[in-house]
Amino acid sequence: MKKRSMMFLGIVLMLMVILSACGSSEETSGDTATNKEEEEKKTLRVVTDAAYAPMEYQDKGNVVGFDIDFVKAVAEEAGYELEIEHVGWDPIFVEIESKRADLAVSSITINDDRKQTYDFSVPYFQSTNKILVPDGSDIKSAEDLKGKKVAVQNGTTGQAAMDALLGKNHEDIKKFDDNNLAIMEMESGGAAAVVADNVVVEEYAKNNADKNLTVIEDETFDSEFYGLLFPKGSELVEEFNTALNAVIDNGKYEEIYQEWFGSEPNIDILKEQQ
Amino acid sequence: MNFRFDLIAEYAPFFLQGTLLTIGLSLAGILIGTVLGLFIGLGKIVQNKLIAFPFTLYITFFRGTPLLVQIFLVHFGLVPFLFGETNAILAGIVALSLNSAAYIAEIFRAGIQSIDRGQMEAARSLGMSNVQAMRHVILPQAFKRMIPPLGNEFIVLLKDSSLLAVITAPEIMYWGRAMAGQYYKVWEPYLTAAFIYLILTISLTFVLNRLERRLKTD
Repeated sequence: MKKRSMMFLGIVLMLMVILSACGSSEETSGDTATNKEEEEKKTLRVVTDAAYAPMEYQDKGNVVGFDIDFVKAVAEEAGYELEIEHVGWDPIFVEIESKRADLAVSSITINDDRKQTYDFSVPYFQSTNKILVPDGSDIKSAEDLKGKKVAVQNGTTGQAAMDALLGKNHEDIKKFDDNNLAIMEMESGGAAAVVADNVVVEEYAKNNADKNLTVIEDETFDSEFYGLLFPKGSELVEEFNTALNAVIDNGKYEEIYQEWFGSEPNIDILKEQQ
Repeated sequence: MNFRFDLIAEYAPFFLQGTLLTIGLSLAGILIGTVLGLFIGLGKIVQNKLIAFPFTLYITFFRGTPLLVQIFLVHFGLVPFLFGETNAILAGIVALSLNSAAYIAEIFRAGIQSIDRGQMEAARSLGMSNVQAMRHVILPQAFKRMIPPLGNEFIVLLKDSSLLAVITAPEIMYWGRAMAGQYYKVWEPYLTAAFIYLILTISLTFVLNRLERRLKTD
C-alpha cells in the first residue's frame, strides 16, 4: 500500500512539474507584452529559418548572416530591440499570420501570392534562382532539367520555378525541408541538380570547392527581391521602410553587404523597385 | 476560419497516391520486419552468449536510437553507399524494416519465453528435436500470444512511415507538407493527413481484431 501511494505521489509531482513549466512560459510571454508598452525601446520578435547560409544560419547556436546583420541595423535605426528566433521555414508564415511574431527576415521573396496574406517592406535584396550541378554535368540551362530529378526546398521560389518548368507537383521535383538536405540529395546521387537562390548556391559551391560543383545561370529565371515580412496591416511597415532606406542611404547597407559577399550591392536596382 | 475544401480537392489525387505509397511502405516494412524480427528474436535466445551477442547489439542500436536518425543514416549513408544514388522509397522500406525488426524481435522473444518450459520438455520427451519442438509446439502457441503486441507494432510502424516525408518519399505526409508549403495553410493539409492515417489505423485494427478472434481457442 505504501509503495503504491509513493508512486501516486511521484506521478502527481511529475504532472505538477510539467504543468508549472507550461504555466511559467505563459507568464513570461505575458510579462514581455506588458513590458513592451512600458519600455521606451520595444523588443520585437523576429522569426527566421536559419538554414540558408550566408543569408541566415546558425553558428554555434547563434543565428547569424547577412539578413540578421541587416535587420539589426534597420531596427537600430528605427529604435527597436530585436529578439531573433530560428523557427524553420513553414512556421515563419504561421507565426506571422497569427501575429505571434512581429516580423520575419529569411530571404523571403516578395510576390503577389504572399502579398495577399502578408505585408512586405520595400525590397532590400536582389536575387535570382540558379542551378547547382556537379562538375561535368550535361545540364547547361534550365531547359536541360526536363526529364531529370531536381531537388528544391519546399515552398521556395526555386520550387515555384521548377513547378513552372516541369509542371506542378511533378514527380521529378523532390521537395525538402531545407536547402542543405536538397544539396545532400544531389551529392548522394538522388538528384541531378538543385535550384535555389544565387547567394546560397554560390556560397555553397565556394565553401565546398573539393566537391567540384558548378553554378549555372539561366536568364529564364526572373530576378526576385527579398523583403521583410510583416503581419497584414502591421503598423511597423512604415517605420521599417523609412529606417531601411536610411540604412541604405547612410552606407551601412553597403558595409554589411561588403562584409558578407565581398562585392558591391546594386543599390540603384533596389531603389528602382520601390 | 475559412476552411478551404477546394484546396483539399485540388490535392486529393496526390493524397490518394500518397495513401497507396504509405500502405505499400507499411506492408513492406511489416513483412520484412516480421521475418527479420523472428530471425533476430530467435538469435537472441540462443544459449551461446557469443552467438546471441550480435543480435542483442542489433536490438540495442535500433531500439535505442530515434527512427528519424536511422532514416537519415539509411537515406544519405547506406543506400548511396550500396547503390551509388539515393532512393527515398527504398531507403524508407529499409529503415522501417530494420527499425521494426528490433521491436518485433523482442515481441517474439517475449512470446516464446512466455510458453511454459514443460511444453518444450514434453515435446523433447516425445522424441522431437529442438527445432521440431520449436516449429510445431512452441511457435504456434507463442504466435497467438504475440498477435496483440504485434498489431500494436504494426500500427506504430504505419504512423512512423510519415517520417519518411523528410527524405521526400511521396507518401501522405509529403503531400501534406507540399500543400502547406504552397498555400501556407496548416489546417487543411494536416487535418486531411490525420484523417487518412486514422482511417488506415482503424482498418488495420479491425483486421487484427478479426485475426485475434479467429485464432481464439477457448
